[in-house]
Amino acid sequence: MISFALIIITSLFFMGIIIRTKSIASGRKGPGIFQPMKDVIRLWKKDAVYSKTTSFVFQIAPSIYFASVLMAILVIPFGQYKGIISFEGDFVFFAYVLALGKFFSIISAMDTGSSFEGIGASREALYSMLAEPAFFILMGSFALFTGHTSFHDIFISLHFGSYISYALGVLATFILIMIAMIENSRMPIDDPKTHLELTMIHEVMILDNSGFDLGLILFATNLKFAMYGALIANFFIANFQMYLTIPIFFAVQIIFAVIVGILESFSARFRMNHNAQFIFTLTSVALMIFFGVLMVIGKFI
Amino acid sequence: MINVLLITFAMTLIYLSIANRMGSYIKILVFQGLLLFGVSFIELKEINILNLIFILFETIVFKTIAVPLLLNYIIRRNRITREVEPFLPNFISLIIVTFIIIVTFLLSNIIEDPHLNKIYFVVAFSSLFTGLYIIITRKKIITHVMGFLVIENGVFILSLAVGNEMPMLVNTGILLDLFVSVLVLGIFVNKIGDVLKDVDVEQLQNLKD
Repeated sequence: MISFALIIITSLFFMGIIIRTKSIASGRKGPGIFQPMKDVIRLWKKDAVYSKTTSFVFQIAPSIYFASVLMAILVIPFGQYKGIISFEGDFVFFAYVLALGKFFSIISAMDTGSSFEGIGASREALYSMLAEPAFFILMGSFALFTGHTSFHDIFISLHFGSYISYALGVLATFILIMIAMIENSRMPIDDPKTHLELTMIHEVMILDNSGFDLGLILFATNLKFAMYGALIANFFIANFQMYLTIPIFFAVQIIFAVIVGILESFSARFRMNHNAQFIFTLTSVALMIFFGVLMVIGKFI
Repeated sequence: MINVLLITFAMTLIYLSIANRMGSYIKILVFQGLLLFGVSFIELKEINILNLIFILFETIVFKTIAVPLLLNYIIRRNRITREVEPFLPNFISLIIVTFIIIVTFLLSNIIEDPHLNKIYFVVAFSSLFTGLYIIITRKKIITHVMGFLVIENGVFILSLAVGNEMPMLVNTGILLDLFVSVLVLGIFVNKIGDVLKDVDVEQLQNLKD
């Protein structure tokens, strides 16, 4: 319950911090940190316009996408408090509920019949397919390391370990930040500010969405960032008291947002054909962590 | 802590397979030197002042400062282009290097030797093979030197894996080897750069009596 509330609060200002960081890095003052949320609320007040060539899939897809992100947030724990849903193997549920939302956003892009959106949908499918093994190998090695299969148990028993659990947490943070950048189609993979349809990935898929639906999709992006931030924060929240864990949580989220902003300011977008190898690197790094865990616990294949 | 440093070392090998600029290669070599210093510093059981100074000299002064500066100087002087120009696409390199690491991991499973620390063995062998792979698949002569340096790093880790204390003689041998190879190849590249415009392995095929 508490993690859900904290993630919702974080999602209100997360994107604002990214934009503020980017503005400061480029020498501008920039908008206030609640400006992206105000834009979303403005969009929520509007009605959506639907093209005549689209079917009902296009109309329900944004809602399902948003709902899938919310469902994924429900399983995330906070310190020693469980998420609202918690069961054995819930990290598989987490990954595939997000995949369901992604599937609907892909078929809604195909539904509009625009060729650009088809390109974007195919790219998005390819990149999430390449990013998936990284996440599963990472979580699988943590499951192996701790001997539990739910987020809550993994994070709880991780902190009874030695320095090695914190070191693995740092390595996992690197992978999770990169996965968050890929899943949200941010800078090294995709430029959210681009104005050419041929170079877009995520933005081109939502070209036809408007009004309330667009607001839902934009807010879902904020929620996804806050969700990955909460996952990262869980690696560093030990079994402290409440008045310590909540400041740690927000500190991790703010540092995460600043890192994303700095990454976006100082790196250029890759060429499209370089993206696949970049994402596959994450799988290789996750494989390293897996082998490291195998070595550390002395369990060989 | 050693485990983490060695895993990071293995990650640098993966990054080496996809980096496509000379500058990144040199930065990776610097970083590997720092990691090696960390590993050997923690590994040293009793602080023998002579041994400490020697390892500090070998890893920090030599691998992290002197060799990268020399490589930088050679690249500047001969105006070598920034791209490394591999024969194979980077994506295939990435898969092959990952495959190398998996194979060495499986190989380490077969060996039953109580004296051998397996994580050292895996990292050392995978960096040996990765260095070899880089030498095979890159066009420029200067990248051959870099691949050779990666192999040297692997040998360094292997010598840490076998015995708990570093045999001084092995260490000196490695240092001499490194010094001579970098110096000789550096002069070699410089001389070729004076004669030919572009320093490329393919041009060596045109050399005749």
